[in-house]
Amino acid sequence: MITVIRMPVRGRSAPERARARLMSVGAALATFLLCAAVTLVSFRIDTPDDRLWMFTEREPRLVVALTLALLVVPAAVFTYQASRLATATRERRLAALRLAGATPYETRLIGAYEAGRQALLGGSLGGVAHLAVNVVLWWSLDGVVPLLSPVWTLAALAAVVLAEVWSGLAAGRHVVASPLGLVRRARLRGPRAVDLLLVALGVALLAAGLIGKGRFPVLGKYGAALSMTAGMVLLLFGLVLAATWLIRAVARRAGRVTAAPETLLAARIVQADPRAWARALTVVGLTVFFGSGIGAQQGNVLLRTGLQPPYLTAYLLIDLALLLALVTSAAALVVHQAEELLDHRRSFAALAASGVPATALGRVLTRQALIAASPVCVVAAVAGAGLVILTGADAPGWSPGAFAFTAVRAAVMAGIGVLAAVLVARASRRILREALRPEELRTG
Amino acid sequence: MYSLGEYIECIVAIMSTRHVLLGLLAERPKHGYELKKEHDHHLPGARPLAYGQVYATLQRLERDGFAEVAETAQGGGPERTVYAITDRGGAELARWLEEVEESAPYVVSPLFSRVVVAAVTGGAADGYLLRQRAAHLARMRELTAERRSGSPARALAADYALQHLDADLRWIETAMERLADLRGEIDA
Amino acid sequence: MLEARALRKAFGRTTALDGVSAEIGEGEIIAITGPSGSGKSTLLHCLAGIIRPEAGEVRLDGRRVDTLDEDDRTRLRRENFGIVFQFGQLVPELSAVENVALPLLFNRHGRRESLRTARSWLERLDTADCADHLPGELSGGQLQRVAVARALAVGPRVVFADEPTGALDSLAGEQVMDTLVGTARESRTTLVIVTHDNRVAAYADREIVLRDGTVAGASTVGTSTAGAPAAGAPAAGGEATT
Ligand SMILES: Nc1ncnc2c1ncn2[C@@H]1O[C@H](COP(=O)(O)OP(=O)(O)OP(=O)(O)O)[C@@H](O)[C@H]1O
Ligand SMILES: [Mg+2]
Repeated sequence: MITVIRMPVRGRSAPERARARLMSVGAALATFLLCAAVTLVSFRIDTPDDRLWMFTEREPRLVVALTLALLVVPAAVFTYQASRLATATRERRLAALRLAGATPYETRLIGAYEAGRQALLGGSLGGVAHLAVNVVLWWSLDGVVPLLSPVWTLAALAAVVLAEVWSGLAAGRHVVASPLGLVRRARLRGPRAVDLLLVALGVALLAAGLIGKGRFPVLGKYGAALSMTAGMVLLLFGLVLAATWLIRAVARRAGRVTAAPETLLAARIVQADPRAWARALTVVGLTVFFGSGIGAQQGNVLLRTGLQPPYLTAYLLIDLALLLALVTSAAALVVHQAEELLDHRRSFAALAASGVPATALGRVLTRQALIAASPVCVVAAVAGAGLVILTGADAPGWSPGAFAFTAVRAAVMAGIGVLAAVLVARASRRILREALRPEELRTG
Repeated sequence: MYSLGEYIECIVAIMSTRHVLLGLLAERPKHGYELKKEHDHHLPGARPLAYGQVYATLQRLERDGFAEVAETAQGGGPERTVYAITDRGGAELARWLEEVEESAPYVVSPLFSRVVVAAVTGGAADGYLLRQRAAHLARMRELTAERRSGSPARALAADYALQHLDADLRWIETAMERLADLRGEIDA
Repeated sequence: MLEARALRKAFGRTTALDGVSAEIGEGEIIAITGPSGSGKSTLLHCLAGIIRPEAGEVRLDGRRVDTLDEDDRTRLRRENFGIVFQFGQLVPELSAVENVALPLLFNRHGRRESLRTARSWLERLDTADCADHLPGELSGGQLQRVAVARALAVGPRVVFADEPTGALDSLAGEQVMDTLVGTARESRTTLVIVTHDNRVAAYADREIVLRDGTVAGASTVGTSTAGAPAAGAPAAGGEATT
């Protein structure tokens, strides 16, 4: 049994090893970010300190909450993405194992084992890295930054490993359902009603936090903040996943009218598996959501109080964090496009052989990104700005100027999100060249 | 070399005219001339059945109780006698259809002998095999064209011939590779 | 019309082609046969301008193909060639008719015209009822006929097919070959088929036999006089035409 589980790990090809390494990097980042988030939570609020006023002063409380969420959510998303990295190849390999006689239970264990192994490797590295950074900060800032107990590090590591093992188990589900289904996959998962449930749950939590404000039943005002954060995260996940519907509708429409073969290909490919795109675009959507939400907040504050240096620094820092999240999301997208090219390498190589230029196939990639990212980014931008406007509606000073600023900022964020997706798609053309090699055509 | 006709002759020999005629009678009672026409239609390319052979066979079938005279048209010669299948004849036909053909070890063909001799004497085998392959393939081309243009019965016959030629060809290819291997071993 | 002279191509230390010459006339149907690994696919890829030989030359209408750069060869392939592979060439997310229309769309015919042409080709190849199905919902034989429709739809001068029936049983293979060869003959399209199935090779006017990267022999229509030595040069590496 152990041998069966370990065998596929040994028999991996170079690209699969590379993907496994990426998984480890994801786990490392996730652990590091989780630990950082825990460290942030353990900052003592209301302790006046010049250098860290952002986290301790009363005024930018909402901003702090948003930053917290911003740090925790990408960690969670990245964990999930990282465990999905190798799915395409792994599923294929596991399906072959099923045909060779492995039981469904065994194949699921194999997936879990692979994911868990990589998570443990990377997570340990991330934990150690965080401890090192933590010690350095604690020492250099005279103890304002608290030293995180290693117990927390271990807890974060355990959480990451468990999450990865779980998604490893989940990834084997199709294979378990039908070993042959992968070979002739005609039907793919569409949008699910559960996505809308997430939205509802998120709205409920958010509303509870808002209405409760200072007098929240559990944990007082921290509880309210926590509820709001969790609500926002759920709402966002739900929205991005619900964007699946929108992505599919946009793709279907594009596919039905276009005369450009690149658009037709892109639209049909997106339409066949909108869920995968929605998933890959989660972090992009997240960034746009926060960017546009923070933009609304900025619009309100800046137009009310004028340009004050402390605010500017804070906003600059947050925009930097957004940029970081965008880079993370780019990684997730690259992986998604690589997986997809893997699925299409034979048909694309055949198209190239019959005279379709590689540049045209490159355009298929960018148009896919455009078709999928546009609805997600628009929804995220509107939701982000809308949320801040709604929650801050009772606050004074929402001038027309602030609204205009908010709208422009939301549009810019949506644009940046789409642009990021398109840029990633352009970058994936290198992988495309690899997929178009004539070797793919050999029948042997 | 095999021609389509020769192949059909093989088939006919195996099937035996008796049973073919019984099979044709199973449909409905027929007279001799009709039987001859249908035989030639269903087994195209086979040597046409002589009237004499049709009547000799029919008489033998009648003697064995497999067929009987159903009616005799007035004023007609023997061509106008209509024959029908009997129950015994039906049973005989069923038995024959159930029978499994013996798998003959087709090793007696001149092709086989020639290749083996060529291989044993060495040298010329390769050139001979290539020429034989070219000849076989040319025949297969004709058969393929014939199959595309002909009736279903003709297509069946062409298939039969094509697949046998293909089997020969594949054997020739294997032989060529085996000879190359053998020669490699001797040279080494 | 299509001509190869003394082609050489090596992958690392394996020599896939070692001095292969061939000449293919307008409207001819050629089979390239030979044992596995003899260089059939490599020769096809060289002839179709998909890969470049290390030595020797490939000419289409007297114009050098192998010296063109990637862009020019791509254009040449698009304008002159159609290609059919053993399997997996259709885009799984596109319906059959969209798959057939794809090369037409890439040649900038309008959407409606492309789809109409594609549909009529599917009808012609007896697969009209597959038109709106995804490739995953079709049988191997139907898939290959759709692939043949896609290769023929652009009206190519040469169609290259690499083991087009390799994944099919006899009858399905016969249907695919019948349609492929039938339409090629009607439209006087040149057809180059790589195969190791003699019954597929028997559809061709002429055969080029490869062995270990060299031409081992060739045969042509009308060489079957029983017993008489057929045409074809057994000498390795020589160009054998009759
Ligand atoms: N990309 C490649 N890298 C390495 N070796 C290759 C490559 N392409 C072909 N070869 C080698 O070149 C030789 C000829 O290959 P080719 O695919 O042309 O053979 P083939 O006649 O088509 O065989 P088959 O009938 O099995 O398809 C083989 O030995 C093969 O291993
Ligand atoms: Mg090949």
